[in-house]
Amino acid sequence: MSAGMEIGAAVGKTIFIVMFALSLGGLLTWVERKQSAVMQDRIGANRASILGFRVWGLFHIIADAVKMFTKEDFVPDTPHKFIHALAPVLSIFFALLSFAVIPFGSSIVIAGQSIGLQVADVNVGILFIFAMMSVAVYGVVLAGWSSNNNYSLLGGVRATAQMISYEITFGLTLVGVIMIFQTLSLQEIVRAQGGLLFGFLPMWGVFLQPLGFLLFMTAAIAETKRIPFDIPEGESEIIGFFLEYSSMKFGMFMFADFIEQILVASMVTTFFFGGWQVPYLGDGGFVFPWGSTIDMNTWLVESLRVISFVLKVSFFCWLQMLIRWTLPRFRFDQLMNLGWKILLPLSLANALVTAIIVLWIGR
Amino acid sequence: MGTVRVINVSERRRVLTFWERIYLPEVWRGLVLTARHFFVNLWRHTLRLFGVKSALPGAATYQYPEVRRPQSPRLRTLHRLAKRPDGTPRCVACMMCETVCPAFCIKIVAEEVDDPNIEKRPKSFDIDIGRCVFCGFCVEACPEDAIRMDTGITEIGALSREGMVLNIDTLLSLPPKSERGDKPVDFLQQQLVQ
Amino acid sequence: MPKVTIDDLTIDVPAGTTVIQAAEKLGIYIPRYCYHPGLSIAGSCRMCLVEIEKAPKLQIACYTFVTEGMIVRTTTEKVIVARQAILEFLLANHPLDCPVCDQAGECKLQEFYMQFGQYDSTLLENKLKKHKAMPIGPHIMLDSERCILCSRCVRFVDEVSKTHELGIFNRGDHSELLPVKGVTVDNPYSGCLADVCPVGALTDRDFRFKVRVWYLDKTESVCHGCSRGCNIEIHANRRRSHHNDGKLVARLKPRFNGEVNGHWMCDAGRYSYKRFESEDRLLQPLVRLTGKGQEKADWTLALSQVDEQVTHQIGRTGVAAAAVIATPDLSNEELYAVRRLFMQGMKIEKIAHRCPADPNGVEDNLLRKSDTFANTYGAGLIIGAPHTADPTVETILEAAGAGKLKTLFIVGDGLLSRYSADVLREKLKNVETLITIQTHGSVLTELATVALPMTTFAETDGTICNSEGRVQHFDQAIPPVGQSRPLLEMLVDLANRWELKAAPRLPESCFAELAGNVEYFSGLTYSKIGDAGVNPSRRSAATATA
Ligand code: SF4
Ligand code: SF4
Ligand code: SF4
Ligand code: SF4
Ligand code: FES
Repeated sequence: MSAGMEIGAAVGKTIFIVMFALSLGGLLTWVERKQSAVMQDRIGANRASILGFRVWGLFHIIADAVKMFTKEDFVPDTPHKFIHALAPVLSIFFALLSFAVIPFGSSIVIAGQSIGLQVADVNVGILFIFAMMSVAVYGVVLAGWSSNNNYSLLGGVRATAQMISYEITFGLTLVGVIMIFQTLSLQEIVRAQGGLLFGFLPMWGVFLQPLGFLLFMTAAIAETKRIPFDIPEGESEIIGFFLEYSSMKFGMFMFADFIEQILVASMVTTFFFGGWQVPYLGDGGFVFPWGSTIDMNTWLVESLRVISFVLKVSFFCWLQMLIRWTLPRFRFDQLMNLGWKILLPLSLANALVTAIIVLWIGR
Repeated sequence: MGTVRVINVSERRRVLTFWERIYLPEVWRGLVLTARHFFVNLWRHTLRLFGVKSALPGAATYQYPEVRRPQSPRLRTLHRLAKRPDGTPRCVACMMCETVCPAFCIKIVAEEVDDPNIEKRPKSFDIDIGRCVFCGFCVEACPEDAIRMDTGITEIGALSREGMVLNIDTLLSLPPKSERGDKPVDFLQQQLVQ
Repeated sequence: MPKVTIDDLTIDVPAGTTVIQAAEKLGIYIPRYCYHPGLSIAGSCRMCLVEIEKAPKLQIACYTFVTEGMIVRTTTEKVIVARQAILEFLLANHPLDCPVCDQAGECKLQEFYMQFGQYDSTLLENKLKKHKAMPIGPHIMLDSERCILCSRCVRFVDEVSKTHELGIFNRGDHSELLPVKGVTVDNPYSGCLADVCPVGALTDRDFRFKVRVWYLDKTESVCHGCSRGCNIEIHANRRRSHHNDGKLVARLKPRFNGEVNGHWMCDAGRYSYKRFESEDRLLQPLVRLTGKGQEKADWTLALSQVDEQVTHQIGRTGVAAAAVIATPDLSNEELYAVRRLFMQGMKIEKIAHRCPADPNGVEDNLLRKSDTFANTYGAGLIIGAPHTADPTVETILEAAGAGKLKTLFIVGDGLLSRYSADVLREKLKNVETLITIQTHGSVLTELATVALPMTTFAETDGTICNSEGRVQHFDQAIPPVGQSRPLLEMLVDLANRWELKAAPRLPESCFAELAGNVEYFSGLTYSKIGDAGVNPSRRSAATATA
């Protein structure tokens, strides 16, 4: 493969995934408002209009952006002005970086070259994601610390405690997945989920690791710091780490939240719901369990796969919204109880049982 | 006198069942509930979007300010001072409302009148609407039925704190809702936005 | 001593005691309108009806004398029904003006109706109209519709002020309290009429519509109008600043003291509260800097000026050319502080307190005293007694006029009532350093090198001795007006600058030191003086006159 082509492909894929995350994130700000409204028998934001057109409040995305950029950028009286400005950037940067290893399709062939639909097919993809998520905590802690405000600092401390607690479960549940698929590469994991279980059930992670899925989902939502795990922010009463942020710096924290939400949706899709896999769709077309087949060319197959990935991610974004607007917030002690006394033992047990079964089958 | 009932709060604490305690079924039930609302409302919105008039509305809200909720006749709205037939204030500056007001937002200065059958009247009468909690105690306390909260005005705003203080002239000029009907009050522009 | 049982409580009382008084001793309050402990008994309102065993009908408690073994009940069904009926009668023609009535809040009709009212009116007739808002004198407003014809006021003008201006005219329900034709109620105690009237028929014109009585905070004090030292309450409007024309003190009321003023006080004293917050109060120190006119200054500058000017002047002309005038309108504590700093600290010999008699002083045999200084007695003890020279104010002013005095402190406002402005200007023109410590601006502050503003008796704690030598305590009622400060405080600050010892800053500690140093006050403390005061001269007449 020529170097120019490689660079071109890399740039193309990066642009695709970044645009995907950012535009979906932007859309989610609208979805958040509208979905909550519809759930609560309301109408939701619908006033922003251009030339009298309201389009169900879609212009609120633009209105919000304009507002964020034009608001007063308040900087507190702190000796760490640079870190104060850096913190939101860190938050959003590491969240976006994780998308590099998410496969959004199998591969396409252009001019005889096969191009994997994943920005970087690293063979330690899972570890890379772990690393990025761990570093993301810095954005929050630094924000709390550099604000020179007790409330912010306490919010930051709460955030650290929470994120570190749940990262353990987060990691341990994936141990099961790794053991089953025997690889750390995300593309490999997705491919492995293309098979069938008992001849008809797609071999998705959720069927192999149902408990793992529940634990992972819980821990992942906790990582995003959204209700019911929004102790670090608690904007309605206890005040969190971004107290001293305004305008677009605050906007970046908020946006990082949405990006993380998409990331979680992508991970859940990748690890447990077959990533870009469409059930019964092989490289050459559909092969149904009852024997009938539909032939397709690769372009169509690849498109279907990318669409499937996007739809699955969208569904999990919707599900997270549903959870966020349904459940009340945990108290901090409940949060810690859940993390250390329930999720951690369960995920250890999950890993153990999985290991035994894998050994037993492998024998 | 009835016997005093003592309630021990710890006894009233609900004991959770096993399934409630493991949380997941309850989470599931909650999600089903909210999801049901989501889909039902979405379906109704969609029907209406395509012009199916018979569909139920997808939202229970009023589209304020185009649509307004009907006011109960007992609703406590912005105060006014009632007048005697000759146009002078009914208020005799007895300070009952000032005394009873829990928000300390009424300030009256009394003065003497020559008519020995009236004797006393307010020289100034200020209500700081910015501090008022709309409890209606002032109305209850008034022995002259002079202060009333029946203007039907609920939209009150000003660009400054001073603008929120209504003086005696404004209070006397406000009509009751029954006289005003649904006519909007232009006093918002005139008086409050200072 | 007859033994009487009232509502199951038994007490021995001297013969000639009425039931209402015996009940009072037991802490039982029997409702009353016409009975007033300071007046003769009329027995006309019937509010005080009680049930007495073996008596066929209810009896009035105010005019029934106790007899041995009498058993009285004040809360039986019969009594309550009687009270209801009496109230119904009293209110038959009552206008119920409460919203505009100044008495509301301290009105006995309101109080008793709340307890014993009938609430559902059975009245069918129209109410009678009588006179409303009728000024009957400089201080008193009459509303005869509100009058319940208890005749307390009539007895007051007959028995206490002995001026006989009021009477009850006409008959039946047309009876009306009115002043005698052609007479104005302007006796020197007329303000008390508003106090004796249990309802809002007689109200104070000065207090009219100023502030509602329930907004007032009450402080126990002693009137400084003359050497009688009537016990008073200062009623201040601290809570609603927009009332009472923005002022704090709203009125003075007499406070019962059987040894001094009984239930009364004179009008001059009653309306003297206006001084506290009058226009001419000195609100800020004034300083005359060399080569410039008089200017307003802050306390630091004013005190440093006093320090410099006095030190410089005394250094030049000596203590012999220095004198202090402390007038007897100051409290014992303030006089003691003056003595401590000027006499003992600065060793100034010439300290005068004895002023000539007040040309405007009047004396009668009720309350008023011709000596219009509140504390002449105390000043004699504190400034006069230990003093070898004991010059009079007259001699000091003479010396000043003759140019023999170069430094002069004038503490207190007393000179102004004794000397005209011209005389003072003439006498003081040769004084080079004149320091005045006064409550009000006057010719003295105009002449002063430094004029320091001082608090009045409403703004500080203290004690004074009345003409009989009774030591009485007054409390601080309001915060200092403007930037004025208590004399004790400023003398402490001055003493610190001069590195001298001063009397304590707090009146109570100052009094303790005074009690240790002046025999007359020995053993006294604020708590021993209490609300009613004590008279040590009865204990040690010999020491007092020494
Ligand atoms: S409604 Fe209540 S708070 Fe408002 S002015 Fe009246 S008494 Fe005061
Ligand atoms: S209670 Fe009524 S009459 Fe009295 S001051 Fe208030 S408005 Fe006026
Ligand atoms: S006298 Fe008493 S009852 Fe009569 S109007 Fe005055 S406050 Fe009311
Ligand atoms: S004016 Fe007052 S004191 Fe005099 S008779 Fe009438 S109620 Fe009694
Ligand atoms: S108080 Fe006894 S009759 Fe009036």
